[in-house]
This record gives sequence, structure tokens and C-alpha cells, in this order.
Amino acid sequence: MGICYQGKPLKEAVAEKERIFKETGYAYGLKEIKLVESDPAKFMRFQLRLVAACISARETAKLISANPVAMLQGELLFMLANPEGDCIAASYGLAGHIQAFPFIIRSIANLGFEEDPGINVGDIFATNDSYYGAPHNADNYNWVPVFHKDELIAWSVGLNHIVDVGGLQPGNLGTISPNTFTDGFIYPPTKTGENFRQHGWWALHWKRRTRTEAFNVLDDKMRTAGAVSLHNKILEIVEEFGVDYFRQGLREVIERERRVLVERIKAMAVPGKYGYLHLSTVKYKGVVGTLFATSNRDWVLHEPAELNVLRDGKLFVDVEGLTSEADFHCNGSESAVRMLSSLGCWPMFAYTLTLNTALQYMTDWNLPPGSMFNPQNPYAATVMSLSETGKMIWMFHNTLSLAYFTRGFLEECDPEDACGVGYGMAGVLADGFPWAGGDMALITCWSANALPYKDGELAYFCAPNPQPDQGETESSEFLQPTNLTIGKKFIPNYCGHGKFRGGLGIGMCQLIVDPGQYLVIAGFAATGGMMRVAMGMCGGYPGPNDIIYFAHDTNMRELLAEGKTYPRDFVEIGKWIKEGKLKAGSVDLFKGAAPNIPCKDGDLFSSATSAMGGWGDPLEREFALIEKDVHYGWITPDVAATVYGAVIDDEGKVKVAESQDLRKKMRNKRRERSVDTKEWWKKEREQVLRKAFSEDVYNMYADCLKYSKFRSDFTAMWQVPADYKL
Amino acid sequence: MPEEIATKENLKLLVEGKLDWEGVKRLIHLSPKDKDRFWKYLEVLQEKVPWKDKILLRISDHLYIVAKKGGDRVVKCDCGHEFGDYRANWKLSCRIYVRKTLEEMAEVVSVEEALPYPELVEIREFYCPGCFAQLGVEIVPMGHPVLFEILPDLDTFYRVWLGKPIEDEKPAWFTDKTWDLTAKWAKGG
Repeated sequence: MGICYQGKPLKEAVAEKERIFKETGYAYGLKEIKLVESDPAKFMRFQLRLVAACISARETAKLISANPVAMLQGELLFMLANPEGDCIAASYGLAGHIQAFPFIIRSIANLGFEEDPGINVGDIFATNDSYYGAPHNADNYNWVPVFHKDELIAWSVGLNHIVDVGGLQPGNLGTISPNTFTDGFIYPPTKTGENFRQHGWWALHWKRRTRTEAFNVLDDKMRTAGAVSLHNKILEIVEEFGVDYFRQGLREVIERERRVLVERIKAMAVPGKYGYLHLSTVKYKGVVGTLFATSNRDWVLHEPAELNVLRDGKLFVDVEGLTSEADFHCNGSESAVRMLSSLGCWPMFAYTLTLNTALQYMTDWNLPPGSMFNPQNPYAATVMSLSETGKMIWMFHNTLSLAYFTRGFLEECDPEDACGVGYGMAGVLADGFPWAGGDMALITCWSANALPYKDGELAYFCAPNPQPDQGETESSEFLQPTNLTIGKKFIPNYCGHGKFRGGLGIGMCQLIVDPGQYLVIAGFAATGGMMRVAMGMCGGYPGPNDIIYFAHDTNMRELLAEGKTYPRDFVEIGKWIKEGKLKAGSVDLFKGAAPNIPCKDGDLFSSATSAMGGWGDPLEREFALIEKDVHYGWITPDVAATVYGAVIDDEGKVKVAESQDLRKKMRNKRRERSVDTKEWWKKEREQVLRKAFSEDVYNMYADCLKYSKFRSDFTAMWQVPADYKL
Repeated sequence: MPEEIATKENLKLLVEGKLDWEGVKRLIHLSPKDKDRFWKYLEVLQEKVPWKDKILLRISDHLYIVAKKGGDRVVKCDCGHEFGDYRANWKLSCRIYVRKTLEEMAEVVSVEEALPYPELVEIREFYCPGCFAQLGVEIVPMGHPVLFEILPDLDTFYRVWLGKPIEDEKPAWFTDKTWDLTAKWAKGG
């Protein structure tokens, strides 16, 4: 006798869900959605009661957390799933995680959890293991079964992003990890509590295996309390609507919204194939030394995707040609791909009444076995899988923007790109107290890419989190007193140029004060020195790289004591050093993630991100917009001239006649120094035949050519033999 | 009411980047969207271009797939330059300028510290051979195949999704022909 409806075992219920959809094309085989159609008002009331319960759980439970990432910056989520694992409703917060939960339930069903350790009223389960469905170990799930009499009718789930995962690097998003054993604390699905209380031994794991025990124990209590609170609310809703209505209603939500999504694609897009590419780097050479021989190298990550908008409105994404799995931190599971990429689906077409997993019924992926997103090594490191799977968010944004543009729905275009600068830190204070922390403030306020009709907005949203907040600098300084924030600002000219320019990147500058015995900062970033997306929109330039920057042994303390002003971002630090206004012993500059960098009192740590891409030819930018840019200091007069062909006078106005003349000259320059693509192809082909690639690029091609689709495109492009080898 | 905001006049303003933000927001909030949007869009575009070929689809700021009288479907710039069959990536029929050095890249990436690594990538700029508008930008490693941004399934779109089939339908219209071009080049064509 199983725990699901009519005594069905969980494993059977999950398998049946998948089989029926495959056979019928309808979620749960629902050709008719009777509850929705017979009384839509009642159904909407039912659905919104579920959402309200999730939000209520979030708003009360989050007050238990002391972790600023959850408490202030909104990196948490509470959700309700049906027994088969489909999420039906969720609070606001880290929305993408509803996509991963079905994988977790499939895992515990197949692991036989129903028999051992058993699934009973009051049990609490938890995991953060990518191998079993969680995206990566920073995101921790606690969940509670909801029973009506002896029937499992739902799961109540709490999730949040913790401060430190106990990995090789401090923080939650380490960018150096050769295998799962250096990822930090990872636990497969585990029964961690009974009778609605966590076992005492569970807190010991957080205390012993991570650096931020207090934050992590309180976060675990928060997730549990929220899940239990939601459990109780669910039972109230069942009481109100009846268990039959509840059971059927959860399924109808999925089927109804599956239909909405398919119809929306058909109403706004154009069927066909859309190309996309993102590139990044991993730099381990000399960092991990001989201890991890297979990791002691650099990689160029090749992340192509072809979005197929199919005749029936469904979407199929093929990533063949993706870099292979390796001994680095970037490997990701299908759940991570679906989880994070869904964040590109919500804003582009999957906005429905509630957050739910209907999306999984109209999207499909080809994730080649052995590639970075389908590792076959069970010990593959996944601590920062989201950095790379996240590139598929922008795939949906960019390809669907072009699809909507072709159809005439310009107002729905929203090309975007990654923004991801934050840091983890760890140290020992002067009195011997070991501590750790981290911050993601710059991730909470992105600028946006340009649109086909306007410039990108400035620092106004966060794509992975619909409800972000920068938090308060003072709170961060209270928790991390070694890092004093002395600057946070937009950086002039730091954007992708275009007829409409991308939003300017935002930078931050911190002074290190009294770090005590020891302090390291490990910065992470969304780029790898190869810019953002590989392809600009309609002639606009992609956004420039993220920056992580350290100036060591500065005289900043003296300047402050003298009442002097101070630099506010990395551009100003660099300029001040050149001009002699600031002294620095050495500088570390990274165009992507950085390893652990030791910092001393008086050092400056600066980072910058979200310099976004432009749309259209910069030489077509209206003079009025350029004047506005110059007026606000967004674009300097020299860049106005060299990039936009606008001559600015002393009062900041565009000299129209001179500018028109300059633009004419710039177009002539394009004519003079460009060649027919065919001529370029001949020369580039010679290089390809000579295999004249830099070492990292050579290795990238050598790897990607193992995959037939990329091999076919590469050899056809350059008309080289089919057995071309590197 | 959809017709109040989703007018052809407002769509024209949107295409020109001149519709005010309040108007754009009203369009964003429109639910359901105006069903005749595509046809209005085609009218707006057709009135903007200086030539008479029938636009089947706009695929970039300046580029359109048009139906030629002889039965071809080609990519055409609003300046009038034609790039050939839309099934072959139009970028291969452009003029191209490739930035390989830091100095060359610094002309268009305006913060020195944020420049890409020249040993890893080059910046490819694709221009229209007719008007020298910048049509596309790629930042990729040397040797990377040129990226094909869109190959639309036009026949399915017009017949199944819009309910107004194009006269000369055939399955071969949804076939990537890009590598036919490079094969021809390899043979000296």
C-alpha cells in the first residue's frame, strides 16, 4: 500500500505522470480541465489561496534568518508541490527553484524513500545535492510531506541561498573546485527531522562543515518553520475546498498554464531556429598547483544553443557543442539548467497567475552526455554550476527578443545578459576569532540591455530574483566590519554601445580596515574576459566584462586622515594611481572570477558589473540622446566622438554639422578597412588549416569538435576535411 | 481596449523609437495582444522602405526577408542592397571588419580594464555593402563559425500560425543553405 492517492506508491505515481504526458501530450492526461471551466472564479480563489499561503510562509519565516542574503536581499522561496513534485504555487523570491523540485522528488521516489527511511506525517527532509536534483549546494531545500488521512497530497518546501557552503573558497559561489569533495558541504536527500522538529544532530553538521554556522543554522530553522507553517495552511485550504477539489485542482493548474504558455509563444513569436553563443573562461593554471593535476590548466568555455520554436508552440533547445565536463566548478545537472534557464522564461513568456512547473511540459533540451550540463562523473564539482547554466537564461532573453522583434511585438523584447559580481570572504580577527561572510549586493540591482526603442535602464532589477533588494550597506558593514564601503556608483562609458546603448555598469569600492590576523576575499563574476553574450543585437555591441580589482598597500588611510576625497570605483583608482594621487604597492585585475586574494589593512577592493549590451548601429544614435548622456556624465565627450560620431562643444551640445561630417567619415572608414566576407573567409580559413589558435582556444575547439553538430558546422564553415583534427 | 493603444500610428512611433514610455507600458500591459499586429507591422515597414518588394519578415534593424517576383525569397537591406537567399546566413554576404588587437578593440570598448582578451577573441563587425550600416557584431574566438541568428520557418508561420499561407510553399524553404555558399567558395566560386 503506497502513500499516494488510492494507495499508489510514490515511485509509481511519479513514473505515471511522465508516461501519461508522453502518451497524451496533456499534463496528467487532462484533455478537459473541468474545475477551471465549470467555475473559474472559484478556481482562481483556490489558486490565489495557495499563493497567499506561500507568501505568508515566506514573510513570517524570513524573520528567523540572520543571513542578509535571505533576510534583506530576498534570496529565498517557499513553494507548494503536488505529490509527483510539480510545483503549483510559490512565494516571490528565487523563482527558478520550482523547476528543480520535481527532480528532487523523482530522486527520493527512485531511491525508495517511501520504504526507507519512510515518509510520514511530521517528517522533515533536506538536500542541496546536485546529483539528486538540487542545482548547487548554496541553495538548500527543506520539505515536509502534507498528508490528508493516510494520503500524501502535497509537499511544502522552503529554500534559501546560504552565506557559506564550506568549500575550498569562502562564501557560497566558489569559483575554484576540482571535484565534489572541494565543493564544500553537500548532503544527499536526508530525513533531518521528525514530528515537525529538526533532530539535534543536524545543527552539528552546519556547525562543523561550514564557516558561518550561526547563519546556516538559523537559515535551516527558517526553511523548516516556513515549510511547517505552509503545511498547516495547506490543510486549512483542503478543509475549505475538500480534498478531491484540492487534488484535482493542483493538476489542473499545470495543464491550464501549459496551454497558456504554448498559445503565448504562438501569438508572439515566429517558428524557426535561433542561434546563440556565450563564452567564458576558467583560470586554474597555477592556482591549484600540482595537488589537482587535471585541474592545473585554463579553459575557454563554449556555450552554444539553438532555440527551436516548434510548429506546435513548444520550445526545444539544443546545446550540442557545449564544453565537456571537467575538473572545474562549472558542471551542472539538468535540474540546474532548467532551474536557472527558467528565469529567462518567466519574463519572456511564462508569466502566469502563479509560479509553477507547467514550463517543463512545453520545453525540452538536448544536453549531450559528457558535456558540462550532463556530467557522467558522479564526483563532478557543481558548486558554481549556476554561473554557466545561467547563460541559458540569456539565451531565452536574446533569441526570443529577436523572435518578438520579427513579429512586431517590440515592446516585449528584453535582451539581457549576466550580471554576477559578488564575493565570499574569510578571516581570523586580531583576537583569534575565525569568521566568514560574503555579499551579493551588486547582483541585486542590474542595469539592463538596450531595447529596440530605448536605452537600457540603470540599476533597476535582478533577473534571477523578481523581488530583490540591495539591502543596506550599514548592515553589511555591521556583519563584515573589515570591509568599509567608500563608493558605489555608475561608471561612465561602461556599457555596450549602440543606437540605443546598454545600461551603465555599477561599481563598488571598499577599504579594508583592521582585518586582524588574516583576510581573504574571493570574488566571483559573470564574465571571463570574453565580454558578455557573443552576439550583439542588430549591430549593437555586447556589454563589456565584469571587473574584480584589488589595490594593495595603498596610502588610503593617510588620505582619509587628511580629509582628502577618495576613489569610488576601479576606473578612478587606476586613474588616481597613474596621476600619483594614490599610492599602491601592487594591483590585481580580473575580468572574471578571482581566486582567494589576501588583503591587508588599507587595501582597496573594487568590483563592477552589469555593463549591458546595446541595440543597433551606434552611428545611428540620435544626437539628443548623446547630449543627455554627456549632460549626466554617462558618456564622456571623447567617446561620444570616437564611438558615436558626435562632436560635443564646451557647453555639452552636439555640433550637428560637424557631427554629420564626422559620421560620414566614419562610414567611409568602415568602407575602406572592411573586406568582402568571402575574402576574409579565405584568410581565416588558412589560419584554421594551419591550426593557428592560441592554446586555450585550441583546446576549446579540440573538445567541442568531439560533438557531431559542432563538428559539422565547423568543417562546413571552413570547408576543411570532415576528419579535421586538433 | 487594444485598438486605443495598438494603432498603426503608435506602432510606427515604436519602430522609430519615438513612442513615449507611458505608451510603451500600455502596449506591454495589453492582454491579449492585438491579433493583427504582424499585418500592421508589415504595413508600417513597407511604407518606410524605398522599394516595392513584398516584405515577408523583418529580421534585423535594417534587414528584411522579401519575396522577389521571380519566386526567390532574399534578404534585403532598407537601403536596397540584396544579400541573396535568406536560408544562407546573410553575414556571409556582408563586408566585414575584424578587431584583433587591444588598440582596435579599445575604439569600441570604452573602459580599458574591461577590454576582452585579444588572445582569446576577436570582434567581428558586419556592414551592409550598400550603406555601410553596422548590421551585426560578434565577439568570438578566431575560427569560430559565423553565428546564424535566425532561420525562420516561414511557411509554418504564415500557414499554421497566421492562417494566410504564402503562395509558393515548399518544405525546402526551411533548410539551412549557409554552407552551400562556403562550399561554392571552396571551389573557387
